[in-house]
Amino acid sequence: MQKKLYITPIFLALFSIAIILISLQFDTSPEMIVGDSMQARTFPIFLMVINLILISFLSLQFFKNYPKRIELEIFTTWFTIFLFLLFYFLTITTDMFIGITVCMFLMGYTWGEKRLWVNICNAIITPGAIFILFDYVLKIRFPRGILTNIYYG
Amino acid sequence: MVELSAMASVFTDPYLIALIFATTILGIIIGVLPGLGATTGAALLLPFTLTMEPVQAIAVLSTIYVSATFAGSITAILINTPGTSASAATTFDGYPLAQKGEAGRALGIAVVSSTIGGVFSIIVLCIAAPLLARVAYEFRPPEYFALTIFGLSMLASISAGGATKNLIGGVFGVWLSTIGAERVTNIERFMFGNYELYEGLSFVPVFIGLFAISEMLVQSKTVNLIIETVALKAVKLPTKEDYKKIWKTILRSSGIGTFIGILPAEGATVASMIGYSEARRWSKNKEEFGKGSIEGIAGAEAANNAATGGAMVPTMVLGIPGSGTTAIILVGLMVHGLRPGAYLFTEQVDTVYQIFGSMLLANFMFMAMGLYAAKLFARVSLIPRPMLWPIVFALSVIGAYAIQQSTLDIWIALIFGVIGFFARRHGFAVAPIAVGLILGEMVESNLQNSLKMFDGQWWMILTQPLAAFFLVLAFLGLCGPYIYGVITKQKD
Repeated sequence: MQKKLYITPIFLALFSIAIILISLQFDTSPEMIVGDSMQARTFPIFLMVINLILISFLSLQFFKNYPKRIELEIFTTWFTIFLFLLFYFLTITTDMFIGITVCMFLMGYTWGEKRLWVNICNAIITPGAIFILFDYVLKIRFPRGILTNIYYG
Repeated sequence: MVELSAMASVFTDPYLIALIFATTILGIIIGVLPGLGATTGAALLLPFTLTMEPVQAIAVLSTIYVSATFAGSITAILINTPGTSASAATTFDGYPLAQKGEAGRALGIAVVSSTIGGVFSIIVLCIAAPLLARVAYEFRPPEYFALTIFGLSMLASISAGGATKNLIGGVFGVWLSTIGAERVTNIERFMFGNYELYEGLSFVPVFIGLFAISEMLVQSKTVNLIIETVALKAVKLPTKEDYKKIWKTILRSSGIGTFIGILPAEGATVASMIGYSEARRWSKNKEEFGKGSIEGIAGAEAANNAATGGAMVPTMVLGIPGSGTTAIILVGLMVHGLRPGAYLFTEQVDTVYQIFGSMLLANFMFMAMGLYAAKLFARVSLIPRPMLWPIVFALSVIGAYAIQQSTLDIWIALIFGVIGFFARRHGFAVAPIAVGLILGEMVESNLQNSLKMFDGQWWMILTQPLAAFFLVLAFLGLCGPYIYGVITKQKD
């Protein structure tokens, strides 16, 4: 069970190595442009080498002082993350404001507000008010979708 | 003289006064809502400042900063839950005093200490910032490179997370700044064919994700939390006896808070903890600490608000944020076309001092509101989380979109929200990532320019006295505690 905590340094190390490998694929510039300075790949590689050194320190610290076990996330958290995906799907297929309304309603409900009318009011009034503020005051145009097409014409 | 008249102009501009008044109310509301701190509030409000004049926009952000930092103490005292991390030390004595039926007295001391701390730090800001700007004129790329390294090394001592974890976060943030086309050669880095990333990651959606959305996910674990409040009749100003007891503590903590705020990457949270522990160390009544000591409240509150003015010094003069919130203010400056640095103090003196004047006014405003409306604001903290956080979600999504009107920014905010959440769950603070992202471009460009200056001989940076000084400071900051530990171990 305790070995699972080493997932963090292992993940970070793999990430750093992946970045180094990707950086090595970058184009190189001619000497006359770069001069005495660095190639585009040098700085990210340098950073990831530092990161690998720090990760090895972190692993040593884990070895000396074992960190507290991290509790698993609860349903509400996972569901909220799932709502981000749902929001993405609704935004690209229907409208950003439909996405916001649906996600606000579901979020309020799963977070414990069981009164439907409160959730519905919150999910409709808030995005509506923000839309009016941004559209009239800040003159921001929102991405086209089912609702915004009706509004913008 | 120009400086003073610029500062005074804030107090005679009805629009700015009204704006600061409204923002102070908003800042206090943000501060009393557990989870919604100054940083999250500033990140969420940044898009709303888009159409404002630079002074008004920065006044809004800095008012949120000072008022939310203070307001965290209201919930810290009344419900034992710090509204912001900077008020965590206030709970140690604020809540026990409130439990004794002296909530009004505790809040009165918090309000007065915060105001004195805040005003003190703004006076220091007005004096120190132009002086530092004069020194910063002499800075060339090697000095700036060394300074940013020093700033990054200070991340090791941010209170949340461990030193190593904070540094990893900082390096990750610097790496994020490399996404996009490289400045000199225009070679694409980590764009994966997405040309919207050509100019690099936009700061605002990343910050909204790291601070607001990740906090929302953290709060999703506390939906069943039941909050118990302590009754509050009225907020009382400290008595003469109280003042006699705490004036030294307030002054000491104001100094400590301002100094810690000035240090790059250190913020109000560290300041309040040190302010509290120093108050205890110097107190004649140490036994009262933890049981409702007014010195404890004054020590923590004066320090955390003093840090707000201090943190603006490196932000405005050097472009190095003094805390997570000042990182957002720095982005606000850039969005409104103000380039932080020494030249800001010669080319836009009026603007700079109007910003300082706004911060000063905000301090007086929150003092008045803290004294007369704390009871009302305390009730705001009882807004049900299932109603509040969906609103934060909507504000985050639309705020991320608004800056560049790009849907990609929404996805960036959501992705960084999830990254920030899992980072926090595994003990990594998100502020180092934000600071790293801001400093990243400075580090790389100044290193490139230094290498050009010295024909590719990087070690020549060490021959520049100021650069060497900052690098030695960075080294001591990183390795000092370990070296000290080894030496004391050998002596033992």
